[in-house]
Amino acid sequence: MSTPNDQLKNLFKIVRESGGGGKQRNGGPNAPAPDLPVGWIGIGIAGLILLWASFSSFYTVQPEERAVVKRFGAVIKTSDPGLHFKIPFGVDSVQLVKTERVLKQEFGFRTLNTERDRTQYASEDHPDESLMLSGDLNIIDVEWVVQYRIAEPMKFLYHQRDPEGTLRDISESVMRRAVGNRLGSDVLTTARVEISNIVRDEIQQAMEKYDNGIHVVTVELQDVVPPAAVQPAFNEVNESRQERERMINEATKQANQQIPRAKGEANRLITEAEGYATERVNQAHGETVRFSSILAEYRAAPEVTRTRMYLETLNEVLPKVGAVYVVQNGSTGPIPLLNLRDAKTVVAEEVR
Amino acid sequence: MRSSMILIIAAFLLLLVSRSVYVVDQSEQAILVQFGEPVGDLVSTPGLHWKKPFIQEVRRFDKRVLPWDGDVSQVPTLGREFVLVDTTARWRISDPLRFLRSVRDEQGARTRLDDIIDSVVRDIISGTSLEEIVRSKDWTVDAKKLEELEEEVVTRQDVQLTKPKKGREFLEQEMLSAASRLMPELGIELVDVRIRRINYIDSVRRQVETRMISERQSIAERFRAEGQGRSSEILGEMSRELRTISSEAERQAAEIRGKADAEATRIYGEAFGADAEFYAFFRTLESYSTMGANTTLMLGADAEFFRYLESTRRRPAGGR
Repeated sequence: MSTPNDQLKNLFKIVRESGGGGKQRNGGPNAPAPDLPVGWIGIGIAGLILLWASFSSFYTVQPEERAVVKRFGAVIKTSDPGLHFKIPFGVDSVQLVKTERVLKQEFGFRTLNTERDRTQYASEDHPDESLMLSGDLNIIDVEWVVQYRIAEPMKFLYHQRDPEGTLRDISESVMRRAVGNRLGSDVLTTARVEISNIVRDEIQQAMEKYDNGIHVVTVELQDVVPPAAVQPAFNEVNESRQERERMINEATKQANQQIPRAKGEANRLITEAEGYATERVNQAHGETVRFSSILAEYRAAPEVTRTRMYLETLNEVLPKVGAVYVVQNGSTGPIPLLNLRDAKTVVAEEVR
Repeated sequence: MRSSMILIIAAFLLLLVSRSVYVVDQSEQAILVQFGEPVGDLVSTPGLHWKKPFIQEVRRFDKRVLPWDGDVSQVPTLGREFVLVDTTARWRISDPLRFLRSVRDEQGARTRLDDIIDSVVRDIISGTSLEEIVRSKDWTVDAKKLEELEEEVVTRQDVQLTKPKKGREFLEQEMLSAASRLMPELGIELVDVRIRRINYIDSVRRQVETRMISERQSIAERFRAEGQGRSSEILGEMSRELRTISSEAERQAAEIRGKADAEATRIYGEAFGADAEFYAFFRTLESYSTMGANTTLMLGADAEFFRYLESTRRRPAGGR
């Protein structure tokens, strides 16, 4: 966790101090043994050492970091952001840990860069990471993200080697357990939130068991889909579900169209019948009233009225009738009385 | 000459000090080895320590929990399906002295761990059905309730949705305890063994995918059939309702008409009953007036109408 600058200094220090042969840990100044003109060279070397010492006895801790300070390999303290002093010459060494920053690990996909305006993802998949078995032994492709923070830098550095790799392994294991404990259809639909909560808690438990100072902030499921080969079939199910709704809707629509119309038609039929009824009754009333009044008249002078009515009727009828034959009692055939039509044709022929 | 002597002595002293001082890091513990033989106690406190120069060597061992990552291995389960199993484990050096004697260093330990854990995993996986490995103790899927709730679940014959007898955590526990049995003599403590990944081998995976596809397709077919069924049902209901409505209306109309006809008949009857003979005459005359051009009328020569055509003499009236 030391900065490149520190590392450079350390390297510089080792080269200078050990004069070759000694390891880094052997520390301790091992000054060169010049038997030539000591004066100026000695002063020069001393000056250089002094200069380097003054540069390497301070270190800066950024706001999002904490520093773990070791003296001869043993941790003596952790320091907060700011400018701090340490003993130079490799006695004190500083490791900086980004404790405030929320870090993340991605499973099943990788973010390429987040620069510019939108995030780009790497195009290749990581099926090894994301393909897993559900409880009904179907295959599911789950992509997720684990966000975490290094809560305790001391534990993070010294309780476990490669705690972040452990976080990765545990995440995969726990996610597979959670998915394997549910039905594939649940994982794809309703159980997402539940799974991310359970997985977060279980990862956190494991981290606490290892006591590695990692605090899991959140686990977010990303794409949870059936494997690529099966996806068209899943889409087909969705389409057929839509189709089912469409068919039902169309039938309902037809019913909604026709039933009110039929009701209207029925009302028309009834209203018409009512009209007929009114008409019929009125007619009856009218006719009977007329009959009654004629009857009253008739009763006053029955014979005359009878004859009058008879003659009036014939008067009215005869002009309209096509032909009238008068038949003499005992004669064989009918005698045409009027043959207007034939006469007319004869006249017409003569004119021509 | 004297000053160079001092320099040489100083240099020698420095060399001596640098050879007798060593640093133990926070993450380490150390054992001193003299001519290949461990001497003294375990040095587990970090910081500066002394040793005999030149003849003693420092062997450092990590104090932290160390990762072990197994190779992906292809194992048949109890149900004879081949699965790819990837296990991961965590361990620590619990007894550096024994560790040094038995495996020497981490690399040596890793090869031993490979052998032990791999074989334990194989033993346990191949003696267990896949469901047991995938599911856990807290499996709560109830197969019976499922069919009622989920419209999309197709009951499968090949997979029982029963609760596992052991479950994943228990199997991992078994792996841990079985592998741990051999660990103390290596000076190693196994902290955790976990199944990191488990999946079908490629050929089986393709089969499973084909099965999933046909499963989905049968669900899709069912949806379509349901749509058709519901649609026919609605249309049938509609047709029934239409018939009900129209027949009901026809019935009502006929009833109304019938009542009206009856009423009219009653009225006519009442009025015309006053003089039936006259009504017949009256009505007959009225019906004559409907005759038109297409009618040929045949009248007897002695008909009432022609009575006065022959003579205007008074005759007794009324002889029809």
